Amino acid sequence: MFVTTDMQDGRSVRRVTVMQGQVYVGSGESEMLTTVLGSCIACCLYDPTAQVGGMNHFLLAEPNPGSGTIADQNYGIYLMELLINQMMTRGGVKSRMKAHIYGGANMHTGMARIGDANALFARNFLQDEAIPLVRHDTGGDSARRIEFDPVLGRTRCRIIEAAAAPVAKPVVRPKQVGGGDVELF
Amino acid sequence: MSDTIHVLTVDDSASMRALLRAALTSRGYMVTQAEDGVAALEWLSGSGDEVDVIVTDINMPRMDGFGLIEALRGQVRFRDCPILVLSTESSDDKKARARSAGATGWIVKPFDADKLDSALRRVTH
Repeated sequence: MFVTTDMQDGRSVRRVTVMQGQVYVGSGESEMLTTVLGSCIACCLYDPTAQVGGMNHFLLAEPNPGSGTIADQNYGIYLMELLINQMMTRGGVKSRMKAHIYGGANMHTGMARIGDANALFARNFLQDEAIPLVRHDTGGDSARRIEFDPVLGRTRCRIIEAAAAPVAKPVVRPKQVGGGDVELF
Repeated sequence: MSDTIHVLTVDDSASMRALLRAALTSRGYMVTQAEDGVAALEWLSGSGDEVDVIVTDINMPRMDGFGLIEALRGQVRFRDCPILVLSTESSDDKKARARSAGATGWIVKPFDADKLDSALRRVTH
């Protein structure tokens, strides 16, 4: 997570960059959450009543069934739940949440259409969780820069040059340290 | 008495319920699922004697995991039933609160199905 502070309209604004594998929920202060996406997905959730918003940034949808892979921070299935839970701890109510999803580009021809799979997963997840998808911009072959105001729930999505897109960090095994730690009392 | 372990999982996320159901049924467990603490208590009030162990999330609408654990420990029939928390939370104060409420243990999401399996067998034998 990178945090920078600059002046906007005469007021100080924290700009929080949400990197691959991360979740950030607004602190309630004046902030702007940003990320740059290629095939990854960023989901922005917002509860307009609590004025709480947050963003995640995931690389893949979910592990293949039976693969024995833990659904860790690389996967949407985990980062979506983490985002919802962190929203709830800040006063968000799941039934009031609304979603935006961005990204899911297919950046390289000839490769598996990871972006499409990611976007489909995000849509299905939100449908299963009964969270309305109010705005989305996914697919294509271009990178995107996202800005999200977690207090007002406003997003801005811009197409940017592919060269500016982050190179998705590959999932290297073993890197799933600490997943499922058990502590018996 | 059947050797099959009957698990009640309590989680508001439909996606997480699907993940848990797949992981547990493939390892031979009988699985019943509730979407929050209120639904779990409703089901347990009628069929609770069939359950060997409960696995509950913490952050849920209507009744959270802490409320569920406290409600169950207040009933004689569930005083000794193992209750494992399965949560994305991992702070010491949350764990202490769960322990104080009567939880048997704490598992941090994302869960490893083999570790979950091992913990379930340990607390039910």
